[in-house]
Amino acid sequence: MTESKNTDYQEQTEDEHLKDSQNSAFLAAATIILFSGVYWAIQIESVKELLILAYG
Amino acid sequence: MLTSILGPYTRTILTGVIIWITIVFCFTLMSNAYVGIFPFFEWMETTWFGIIGKTWGAAFAFVQTIHLLSLALLGGAVLAAEGRILGLLLTDVSAQIVIERCHVLLVWALVLLISTGVFMACGVALKVYYLPVFWYKMLALGTGILFHFYIRKPLFRFDLQQINPIVVKMTAIASILVWFMVAATGRWIGFSG
Repeated sequence: MTESKNTDYQEQTEDEHLKDSQNSAFLAAATIILFSGVYWAIQIESVKELLILAYG
Repeated sequence: MLTSILGPYTRTILTGVIIWITIVFCFTLMSNAYVGIFPFFEWMETTWFGIIGKTWGAAFAFVQTIHLLSLALLGGAVLAAEGRILGLLLTDVSAQIVIERCHVLLVWALVLLISTGVFMACGVALKVYYLPVFWYKMLALGTGILFHFYIRKPLFRFDLQQINPIVVKMTAIASILVWFMVAATGRWIGFSG
C-alpha cells in the first residue's frame, strides 16, 4: 500500500516536472522565435531601403 | 528551496521573470549601464591580452582561427542535435544519444568560443563597445547559454515521445535561431568599423 503511494507520488512529481519543463520551453522558445523574426525582418527592410537609396 | 516557495511551476515562473527583467532592463537601465561599463572596456585594452591583440597581428589571427573553428563546431553540434530532433537527419540513431553527444561537443565549443572571444574583445575593446551588433551578440550568447542549460537540457531529459510535439519542434527551432544569431552577429562584428 505504502509502496503504491510512493510510486504514485513519484509519477505525479515526474509529471509536474515534465509540465514545468514544457511550459518554460514553450515560453522561452516563443520569445526567441518572435524576437528573431522581428529582428531579422527589420534588418532585411533596412537593407532594402539602403539598396533603394543607392540604386533607386 | 525555490520549488517550495514557487510551487510546481518554478522553472516556468523563473523563465517568465528572466524574460520580463531583460525587457525592462533594455528599455530602462540599459543606457546607464552602457555608460557605466565604458571604463571596463578601456581597461580591457590595457591588459596583456589587449596589448598582444593590438600589436601582434599573428596572435590575433591565430586566436581568431580557433574562435571560428569552435563556432563551426558549435554550429555543427546544434544542427546535428536539432536536425535529429526535427527528424531531418541521423534518424537511424536514437535521439537521446545524438542529443547527449552533441551536448558534450557544444560545451567544449562554448568553452573555446568564450575564452578566445575574451582575448579578441580585449584587442578591439573600444571598437566593439561602440558597435550595437556586439551588444546584440552578447544578448544572443547569454540567451543561448541560458536557453541551452536551463530550458533545453532539462526538457530533453525526458523521452521525446512524452513531450508535446509542438514544444519539441519550437525548442529545436528556437535553439537553431538563437545560435544562428550568435554566429551571424559575430561575423557582423568582423565586417564592422
